[in-house]
Order: sequence, then structure tokens, then C-alpha cells
Amino acid sequence: MARLIVPSFFITIGIVYLVLTFNLPRSRTGDPTAPLYFPLLIGGILVLFSIIYFVQEWRKRDEKFEAFKALFVGRTPFIIVSTLIMIFVYTFLFERIGFLFSTIIFLTALLFIVNGRKPWIKNILISVLFSVVFWYAFSELLNVSLP
Amino acid sequence: MGVDFQSFIEGLTTAIQPMNLLWVLIGGFLGTVVGMLPGLGPATAVAVLIPITFGMDSTSALVLMAAIYYGAMYGGSRSSILLNTPGDGSAIAATFDGYPMTQQGRAGQALTISAIASLIGGTVAIIGFILLAKPLASFALDFGPAEYFLLLVFTLSAIVSLSKGNMVKGFISMSIGLLLSTVGIDLQTGVYRFTFDIPQLSEGIDFLVVIIGVYAVGEVLYNFLNIDDIKKEKSKVGKKGITREQWKSSKWPMFRQGPIGFLIGVLPGAGGSIASMLSYTTEQQLSKNPDKFGKGAIEGVAAPESSNNAASVGAFIPLLTMGIPGSGTTAVILGALIMLGLQPGPLLFENNPDTVWTLVNSMFIGNLFLVVINILLIGLLVRILDTPPKILYPLILVLAFIGTYTLSYSIIDFYILVIFGVIGVVMKLLKFPVAPLILGVIVGSDMEQNFRKSIVAHDNFINILFASPITITLLIMTVLSIAYPFIVEWVKKLKQGRA
Repeated sequence: MARLIVPSFFITIGIVYLVLTFNLPRSRTGDPTAPLYFPLLIGGILVLFSIIYFVQEWRKRDEKFEAFKALFVGRTPFIIVSTLIMIFVYTFLFERIGFLFSTIIFLTALLFIVNGRKPWIKNILISVLFSVVFWYAFSELLNVSLP
Repeated sequence: MGVDFQSFIEGLTTAIQPMNLLWVLIGGFLGTVVGMLPGLGPATAVAVLIPITFGMDSTSALVLMAAIYYGAMYGGSRSSILLNTPGDGSAIAATFDGYPMTQQGRAGQALTISAIASLIGGTVAIIGFILLAKPLASFALDFGPAEYFLLLVFTLSAIVSLSKGNMVKGFISMSIGLLLSTVGIDLQTGVYRFTFDIPQLSEGIDFLVVIIGVYAVGEVLYNFLNIDDIKKEKSKVGKKGITREQWKSSKWPMFRQGPIGFLIGVLPGAGGSIASMLSYTTEQQLSKNPDKFGKGAIEGVAAPESSNNAASVGAFIPLLTMGIPGSGTTAVILGALIMLGLQPGPLLFENNPDTVWTLVNSMFIGNLFLVVINILLIGLLVRILDTPPKILYPLILVLAFIGTYTLSYSIIDFYILVIFGVIGVVMKLLKFPVAPLILGVIVGSDMEQNFRKSIVAHDNFINILFASPITITLLIMTVLSIAYPFIVEWVKKLKQGRA
């Protein structure tokens, strides 16, 4: 039955979107309902196709639902979760300690996560080298102001 | 023929300015490197390299982006031939005979013929572009809101029905994209829509963040899923030269499939994947010994590579003349163009002829460069391919963040970026096509404006559909594009019944 969750989710989104659309403030200029037309059309299409999707999945309800299996094999859960955590750390540090240092930390962490602990010298060298290259390329050559 | 020779020459002089030549070279090289990475295609290459174009004048930016695009197409064939891992749909056909050639120790020849085929396909298509673009732009000048609305409807339905995976998922993906485009202040009335009182949402969701999120962060995270099983084969490149015999057998396939690929590329939705597949199968059918195909036949590399590259040039026609992207990659380029302040559409040819013709000339120069890069530097490129993806993927992830930051200098976008990265991964796991979502986000607001203008002009929805011969034609094409998969299925069944 797990496979019915996804289509149900889309049906819900579609319905919520339609309800929100009906509750939109009316325009004071021109046709008061003009801002609603297009969202109604899209919401309708979304609900319609989500229902068809639901029916398609319902017919397959006895087959095993394995779409997310790849997420739980071997090192994968560790890689994904720690990458996401590092992204949040990076976001937190980015404007606080500046682009260069936060990027070196972020890249080193990513390389340790993905590339493993063994080639640690290589990981650190690559991080420092590319962070500096990126920093130089963007802030000096392309005139993008980085924190 | 509507060819504007003066503008053409002016474009040539701009294109051969040293700076622009340098951009073509850099773009082509960077595109090749990203495109070569297993699992990453041209859309990712353009998305992640967009920030490089900021601060450039729009002509150079367009030149650079185009160079990244076809560089990535070249790179995609590289990883198809050497590793059997195509970066996107258009590179799949190159694996059929390219990889067997690698296994037989003839990778060098496969890469050479793919470079030559791409050059021939690209050149044929550029000639096609010169002949077709201006007339098509003048034709599009007559389009009113109703025509534009239906053109967008047709493009979306074509992309949904032709993209991999099932059509229902495609339409859901498309509606989500369109839905996202409605967030923010309504341009015509100033009504706040779906902003949930979050100030950052009042200007809408930046489609470039969505693009980088889905195509760069999403693709990299998706590749992280099985990063430990990525194939790495030390393959001998072998000799690069091709024999007279091989040239003879692949000469006609290349010249034949170029124009076909170009025309398919012009159609919205179709693009490189369809073009290269179609070319492969037609050459197989035309061949005197079709059994060779799939076992390392050189024509089997030449034909799809020629048409695939021709299609990528062809895709610029609807993009530049009507502002209609035909594929995920051209949608990304459209997004970047809008950000640079260029409004693609029929008026682009009137207002910025220099930009258009510089692009055309630089595409030709770029193709020449890439052939040289790809034939002379095969050894170096193979070595880059040997750099473990485990190092390159994290670098791309970092580039995605830098790129996003340069869009609006705000950290808030990082969160949106990650959300769409995760959405991208989930969509790939559930086998939802991504291109319809991207296209929806980008054309959504344009589509809505045209929809509302045409409602005002024609009173109701049904009248829009039958507003003019053009809208009726587009309506029929839309219906046909949706019916197309069913017709194919039906013909297959009919054939099976007979056999």
C-alpha cells in the first residue's frame, strides 16, 4: 500500500492549492477573479492526473514498492544524511566566517564523506586548492562579491 | 531567403574577437568536462556554470552558454563511448556501438568519428539555422496571446509525452512546475498569491534556483546514491585515425542524419534523444548488413552523433525565435537569458541581430574548436575522466552553492536550493521526468499572462482554442502529441498480432 502514498500526496497538494486559490484576495482592478483563472486551470490538471496516477498505482497494489530502496543500501544513508547536515552547516557558516574558510571546511567534509578517510592529505589539498581557485575566479575574475 | 548577410558578417566579426573566442574555448572545455562525468548531462553543465556568465555582456554570455551546451554534448558522448554511462537521453544511442568499439580496443576511432560526425551534424544544422531562423521569426511576429498560449500548451504536452517515463507522471511534474510559477505577486493586479506571508516569496520562486537545485544538487545527490559502484575502466584508447573504409561507410550516414537531426531539434519537446535514436534505427535499417549494429559498427556511432549535435543547434531556433525551449537544457538556457535581460522571441532578431548572428558564427567556431580539442586532447580528456567522480561531484556541489549565492546574494536561497535538490532526487527515484517541471517553472508566468490576455480578447476558454487557423493547428498538434504514445503502442500491437 506504500505506493499509494505518493499519488495521495499529489492529490492533497492539488486540492489544497485549489482551496487556496478560491480564497485568494480578489483584485480591485479589472476583473476581480482574473488572478484565479490560471491557478484553477493548473490545480484542475494536477488533481485530474494525480487521480489517474492513484488508479494506476492502485492496480499495481500487490507489487512490491521499491522506489526508495536505493536510499538504504550500504553507505548511502550515511552519505546522504551527512551531506545534508554539512550543507546546513555550510549555510550557517557562509556569511559568518566568509566564503573561503567555510568552503574549505565544506569541501573537506564532503570529500571525507564521499571519498573516504584514507586519502586525507589529498582531500585536504584538493579542498584548499579548489576553494582558492573558485574564490579567485569568482571574486577577482568575474567580479562577484563573495562574503 | 531572408538571410541577412550584413548582420551575418557583423556577427562573424564579433564572434572572432579574441575575448569571445576565449569564451568559446573555455565554455567548450568546461562543458566537455562536466558532460563527461557519468550521470551528468548538458542541463547540469549549463545550470552549474550559469554564474560564470554574470557580469558579462549578454552576447558573450550567450556565446559562452552555447559553448558549454555543445561542449557538454561532446563530453556526454565521451562517457557513453568510454564508460557506457550516458549523461542524458541524447547520448544513449552513442553507447550502442561506441562502447563495443571501446571493448574491442577501438575507443580512439570511436571518439574520432564521433567528433567528426558532431562537426558535420553541427555544420549542417548551422546552415539550416541561417536559412530557417529569420523566416520563422517573422512568422512568429504575427502571434497574438492566444497563439502564444497554445504554442506553450503544445510545447509542454510534447515534452511530457516524449520525455521518458509515463505521461501521467509527466503531467503531474508539469503542473507542479506551473504551480510554482504562480507563487508571488500577480504582475497584472498586484494580488499576493500563495506567499503565506513570507516576504521572500513575494517576488516568487527564482526559477534559476529551482534549476540549479534540481539539475545540479539533485543530480549530484542522486549520483551519491551509488557512488561506490561507479564503473572505472582503464580502457585503451587505441589508435585515433580512421581508415578510408570506415570513412566511406560512415560518410553518408553523417550527412544524411544531420538535416534529420536538425529538423527534429527544431520541434519543441523532441530534441537530441529522439533525433539520435531515430538516426540510429534508420541507419540500421538502411544498412546492407544490419547485424553489425550493436557490435561496434562505426556507422552506429557516426549517425546518432551527427543528428544529436544537429538537433542541439536546431533547438536554438524555437528558443531564440519564439522563446520556446524544446528541452530541459534549452529551458535552462532560456532561464539564464531572461536573467541576462535578453527576451528571446521574434523581436530578438529585430532588436539584437548582432547577438543572434554572433551566436551562429560562434557555434560554428565552437564546433571546430571542439573537434580539435576532442581529437588532439583525447588522452588528456580520458585522464580527466579517470579523476574519481568522488572528487568531481563534491566540487560541482560547491559550484552550485556559489552559483545560487550570486543570484541574489542571499542565504535564504540555499534552503530553497536544497529543497529542490531533494525534490530532484525523489523525482528520479520515483521515475518522474524532470524536464516538464523545469519547463513549467520557466514558462509558467509567460503562459499565464498570455492566457489572461487571450481570455480578455476572446471572452472564454473555448474561443481561445479556435481563435485563428494557427491556434487550431496548434490544438491539433497538441492532441496528436498526447495521442502519439498510444498510436505507437497500437501500431506495435498490430504488428505483433500479424507476426
